[in-house]
Amino acid sequence: MNQSLLKRYGLHGILIPIALLWISPLLWILVTSVKTRVEVFDASSGLLPQNFIWDNYPAAMAVAPFGTYMINSVLVTGSILACQIVTISLAAFAFARLTFPCKNLIFSLFLLQIMFPIYAIFLTNFITVRELGLLNSLPAMVVPFIASGYGTFMLRQAFRQVPTELADAARLDGCGHFATLWHVYLPLVKPTLVAFAIISVVTHWNDYMWPLLVTNSESVRTLPIGLGLLAKSDSGADWTRLMAATVIVVSPLLLLFVVFQRRFVDSFMHAGLK
Amino acid sequence: MSMRINFFKPKHDTMVAVFMLLPSLVFLAAFTYWPIIRSIYFSFHDVMLGSDKIFFLGWENYERVLQDSLFWKSFRNTAFYTLITIPVAIICALLLAVALDTKIRAVALYRSIFFYPVMIPSVAAGMVWVFLYAPGYGPINGMMEFLGLPKLEWLYSSDWALPAIMVMSVWKYSGYFMLILLAALQLVPRDLYEAARLDGVSAWHQLIHITIPLISPTLYFVIIIGILHSYQIFDYVYVMTQGGPADATNVLTLYIYQNAFQYQDIGFASTVANMLLLFIGGLIAVIASTIGRHVHYLGK
Amino acid sequence: MKTTKSTISRRHFLQSSSAAITAAGLFGSSPLFAQGNDEVKLQFMYPVGVSGDINRIVTEMITEFNTTHEKIQVEAIYAGSYDNTEQKVMTSLGVGDPPATWLPINSALQTFLSMDALADVTALAKADDIYQDFLPGFLSICESEEKLYGLPFQCSTPVLYYNKEIFAKAGINKAPDTWAELMETAKALTVRDGSDVTQWGLTFGGGWHDWIFESFVRQNGLVPWQQDKVMFDAPESIDALEFWVQMVKAGVMPAASTWQGSANDFMAGRTAMLYHSTGSLTNLRTSSPFDVGVAFMPKNKTYGATIGGGPILMAKDQPDAHLEASWTFARWMTNTQNQTHWCKSTGYIAARKSSWEGEELKSFINEVPAAKVALDQAAYAGAFLQVPGYHKVREYLKSAIDGTLAGDTDPTGALKEATVKSNKEIERVMRRRS
Repeated sequence: MNQSLLKRYGLHGILIPIALLWISPLLWILVTSVKTRVEVFDASSGLLPQNFIWDNYPAAMAVAPFGTYMINSVLVTGSILACQIVTISLAAFAFARLTFPCKNLIFSLFLLQIMFPIYAIFLTNFITVRELGLLNSLPAMVVPFIASGYGTFMLRQAFRQVPTELADAARLDGCGHFATLWHVYLPLVKPTLVAFAIISVVTHWNDYMWPLLVTNSESVRTLPIGLGLLAKSDSGADWTRLMAATVIVVSPLLLLFVVFQRRFVDSFMHAGLK
Repeated sequence: MSMRINFFKPKHDTMVAVFMLLPSLVFLAAFTYWPIIRSIYFSFHDVMLGSDKIFFLGWENYERVLQDSLFWKSFRNTAFYTLITIPVAIICALLLAVALDTKIRAVALYRSIFFYPVMIPSVAAGMVWVFLYAPGYGPINGMMEFLGLPKLEWLYSSDWALPAIMVMSVWKYSGYFMLILLAALQLVPRDLYEAARLDGVSAWHQLIHITIPLISPTLYFVIIIGILHSYQIFDYVYVMTQGGPADATNVLTLYIYQNAFQYQDIGFASTVANMLLLFIGGLIAVIASTIGRHVHYLGK
Repeated sequence: MKTTKSTISRRHFLQSSSAAITAAGLFGSSPLFAQGNDEVKLQFMYPVGVSGDINRIVTEMITEFNTTHEKIQVEAIYAGSYDNTEQKVMTSLGVGDPPATWLPINSALQTFLSMDALADVTALAKADDIYQDFLPGFLSICESEEKLYGLPFQCSTPVLYYNKEIFAKAGINKAPDTWAELMETAKALTVRDGSDVTQWGLTFGGGWHDWIFESFVRQNGLVPWQQDKVMFDAPESIDALEFWVQMVKAGVMPAASTWQGSANDFMAGRTAMLYHSTGSLTNLRTSSPFDVGVAFMPKNKTYGATIGGGPILMAKDQPDAHLEASWTFARWMTNTQNQTHWCKSTGYIAARKSSWEGEELKSFINEVPAAKVALDQAAYAGAFLQVPGYHKVREYLKSAIDGTLAGDTDPTGALKEATVKSNKEIERVMRRRS
């Protein structure tokens, strides 16, 4: 016990310096978001702001209807995730636990999605989305991402870690494939599902190019487009407001992460199966 | 009951599998396979963004790609980036995941600190790193000086711009891989460690002989995803250097983007994409038949 | 089920839907074609090049336009950076559904012309005061072969920014006016700590340094491009690059930089002088902890500047009523009062003489004398690299400049190679056009 305590402090000794290094860009973002414009690059004014200027936040929010953008971002990322969980659970289960012809070939077909460079499919997908009549609507930002080769692969690897005896036991209890998936596999790989969910949400929350291409109206646009207003510029960035907007865009994600990372403590399989 | 399962199993499995794969396949067909088929078609034609006229070219686009020195440069840049960044990020991620899979104090804080870089939108993160790398007043050079290392021009130098982006990628991707590995560790029974600890096995040996084999399915996943991700890097390069100076940071995705949407040369961009698909497909096949064979699944 | 009825209704459905398809085919290029009432709906795609407020200002202007023009309804679509905007417009053009009006960077003029996408508005402009009232250099960015294809809306040029505090400290009281003075001043302002440079004399905004380079070539008395070729290998161009090389070799300017980074460098006092866009004026002025001076880019044989920013262009492929409405809109956005307002609130240079003659801008110049510099320099300014396939040509030129400044190759060889490659690309795009 004593030894492990010692070990723990030793671990902090290594982790704290690395963590400080890692977090410094975030600290700079936070500090800059409450500075005046003049202070940002003025070495003589020091690292911390003279006064905390909260005005940057409302000023950043004023450049675009961030409220609408936030709701749209939630709707889009939420819909993508909900659909993906369904498609990848089913597909991953089939790849992990069923025997059927051409399994490896079909699996590599799934991987094609992550192997093909994204900008080479933009144009065709734009035309497809347009022909489906979805241009300038929220579904336009959802449909291309409903199937996920990435998620299928990730979940397949996790499913294959589940001891087959558990599945066999369920089978003997009269569970079909779907019931086994639902009652045995999904609960057991919850940490992987959570990890996938976090990654999916973060990825699509920050997606910029595709939403910009397929939307026109402010009523269907998402947060990164609002952020782009402050960053993409001829004139050097609008630092203070850009950093304030960044904090606004990132906070919901950070909150989500802090809540869900608890899932990575002592899950069922980790703690022991008895 | 069990007889019925055995009797129907192969055929029944196939039907269930079809049903389970169908939702994914429908969307993949519409938004992945169709564009790839079109891309193969485009690669043999002169296709211009914004025009509906298409001319047949035969293999001309492929010849142009092979002769384009910028293609080879961006290929080399991407390969260099991948070869260094991915192993470093995965090793960092593995060590972090193992360290943060314990009940140490403030574990949530640590995890958040290492993961937040993934959340920062690339436009913003790119700009912040432009500042961090600034020669003169940027903190990174300040640190280099403090450590007695030579100060560098970083993004302004064609030798150091790409390494600068690689360092930033390690900052970003370590947390990303850490999260995936952390999830994988949750699927590993802890009693295996208890036994090892009682036998006095050192932490290092636990890592090598227990942890790594046990999470090998996910490590395998992370390696493949890491390679695929890194050959699609675009955002940071686009925000920070636009491929410069002297094309030192031009990478394949940027190259495709430029050809498709700036040079309007959809045929050429499709050709590059197809060739890369072949290459990366081959690479993954090699990885699957080497590393893939050493993956140990608990489920079997 | 009543089979007969359902058959009939199905046939009826087929007939009516085929009629609808025919109608869609006829008017397919303009799905926004007004239905029934007289209201014309137009889309306007624009980039945000300067600061976040532009989005708000444009939105306000459009709202005002829509309330004062009851028969026209304009939808303002923010489309990202200049590159993103171009990409969005071209993608829409490809599916036959372009916006009625858009705002690209002026270099894209030949590109859009080669796609046969632009409406010729020469006659409309001649019937108006356009040719009399717009600054000729600015109007030229929408002209090709004496025809007019748009109205200049947001124009910028590179200017020389300098840090007045550093100048005062070094006892220099005036900005350089010739290349030789530029070199001297940069030498005097460069500060070294051992082998490390702690303060550069001069920095060019990287990423757009080809734009700045063209200004230098113009200062040598040459416009290094024509409608169908570039002359980067002309003596005037080579001489300009040799001058850059000399400055790098003298250690007074960094061999490369980035657009964002160079603006930061200036604000942080890392460089005493900076070549950047007039569009950055407001940002640099309000964000620098010192007084910012603005001057003409120094001359060599002559003064010279390249125009960045862009005109409002109008789509060719639209019904007459829509084109007329598009013209009304573009004309309104660039009227005297709106150009005044736009200039004051963004820092772009107003394109109309009458705007500058008005009281508002006169008092603005008193307040911000720097704005006057940009206006005066505009007399020497012309369009930027309006050749087909300009994106790739820019890359070739930038690579040549970067390679030369990094010491990998010599100016003549690099520029010759860039010229050959560029002209080959232009030829390829032109061949595509016919």
